Amino acid sequence: MRFRLSSIWSWLALAVVLIWTLLPIYWFMKNSLLTPAEIARFPPPLYPMEPTPAAFFNIFGFEYEMADGLVRRGSGQANQIIRGFYNSLIVSAVVTLVTLVVVLPLAYVFARLDFPHKNKLLFAILLAVALPPVSTLIPFYAMYVQLGLSGTLIGLIIVTLTITIPFVTWMLIGYFRNLPEVERLARIDGFSRFETFLKIIVPLGRSGVAVAAVIAFLFSWNEYTYALFLVNGTTANTLPTAVSGFLFQHPEASHLAAAVMLTMVPPALVAFFLQRHIAEMNLVDPVR
Amino acid sequence: MSAAKRTAELTNFQFSLLLALPVLVFLVLVVAYPLGYALWMSLHEISFFGGYKATFVGAENFSDVIDDRKFKKSLWITVRFTLESVALAMVAGLLIALVLNRKFRFAGLVRTIVILPWCISLYGTGIIFSYMAKGQTGIGTAIAYAFGIEEAVNVVNRDWVIEVLAVGNAWNMAPLVAFFLLANLKTIPSRLYDLAAIDRMSRLETFLNVTLPPLRFTIFVFTCITTVLSMKLFDFIFVLSGGGPGTASATLTYRIYKESFKDLDLGYGAAMSFMLLALILGTTLLLYFLWGRREAKST
Repeated sequence: MRFRLSSIWSWLALAVVLIWTLLPIYWFMKNSLLTPAEIARFPPPLYPMEPTPAAFFNIFGFEYEMADGLVRRGSGQANQIIRGFYNSLIVSAVVTLVTLVVVLPLAYVFARLDFPHKNKLLFAILLAVALPPVSTLIPFYAMYVQLGLSGTLIGLIIVTLTITIPFVTWMLIGYFRNLPEVERLARIDGFSRFETFLKIIVPLGRSGVAVAAVIAFLFSWNEYTYALFLVNGTTANTLPTAVSGFLFQHPEASHLAAAVMLTMVPPALVAFFLQRHIAEMNLVDPVR
Repeated sequence: MSAAKRTAELTNFQFSLLLALPVLVFLVLVVAYPLGYALWMSLHEISFFGGYKATFVGAENFSDVIDDRKFKKSLWITVRFTLESVALAMVAGLLIALVLNRKFRFAGLVRTIVILPWCISLYGTGIIFSYMAKGQTGIGTAIAYAFGIEEAVNVVNRDWVIEVLAVGNAWNMAPLVAFFLLANLKTIPSRLYDLAAIDRMSRLETFLNVTLPPLRFTIFVFTCITTVLSMKLFDFIFVLSGGGPGTASATLTYRIYKESFKDLDLGYGAAMSFMLLALILGTTLLLYFLWGRREAKST
């Protein structure tokens, strides 16, 4: 739309969207800056009276001396947090890359081409999407114990791919359908099918490709259920399982909030760069 | 075009097979194996006490599940939770997409902020909403006290816990819906809006006739996706309410978790998994036949 945000309704809509998004985040994240006394207070404070960054030092294992001389000690979870962060980065990067390579052609084929048994194959993908992790946990666990894959990053990567590949494919199909009909033109220009796909469809649909990358990354970065049962407590533990250690063993609200904030940093960076990509691209009338 | 190139052309089917086959083989392996294993478990009575023992019992687990009143209650909770989550996520997603599609200053910043909930994991969302909604730490309590009403406001109770879960779930999913709708909105040629202006269409008419039609298939796809995600959601509920208070928010996934991992009744849990799987697939196919097929034809 070309017109600028002008009417009061548009501003109101923007305000509603921002409040809806930020209020829950603010309400929890303020805990990371609270002092232990403030956390224990009732009613809960609306904002931190004496904001302190202690929790952010503590979760990495550092002590922090407060203004009144009180020392807040580093968290015992620090090693797991750091290793979890590292492991999560590896798993997410590999999963994102493999998912993209596999899913783009698959989604394209299902969205743009007609071939026999297409609906049956589509149903197989839907079946893979529909499987709830709570139901497949025991089978995967049993298999992983036999293959020696439990407690390894490669095992977690494989199981995460079983979530991302069908899911992202299913989502991209709708997107690819909406791209303009360029195949015929490409063939007239002498492009083969592979060239059409690689040199025309992928660049044309880079907005969808970008979103697919974000989604694959976020799914693997945030995967919790499988990680909890397959790698928790081993050297392959991921950030979510390390963070949940705060939840069940050592309920300190400021550490928990700081740790959850830490989990948001890489996905927020990824999202920031890719949303710019989406914003800057211009898909309007590419064939004119 | 050269003749050599023409003969090298593949048919649709060959090309599709070439691209899709490796993935499909992988999927079959990783889907068929757990499904087969779960099917085997669902047909057995598995006990761990006094040594591991699996006794073949046929369809007994399935008939037990169907007779189970707790199962019916969980089924209803899942349906209610899903309906509320999907409706809220789609409306919020569409609103966010429309707001983001406008050109205004700081649009990049707003986009980055708006996608944040999707960056937060589901267990993180569970923690956040449990802090928001519970009486001890909740925002309701803080506001009530600010207005001089000295009473804790706890919405994680029997009557409202499902709504709390649905809002949190929708909050987490809405950016996903919004960004795909946004990507779609950007494929609408801007000259269509110029034409709409020439035709003196009102804002609502422009929305219904220009903006909405190309979005409809995506809206259908995402209604399905949010439905599936909500129905198979586990970690968020596990962290936020733990199925409680009592069993007020024990969805099917939570019930399966409890049967399989707490009560160690693996056969019963597996039988219930198949009920859930049937529910998810049935709902998706129903949506497709009632709605999606029409959209697929019109685009």
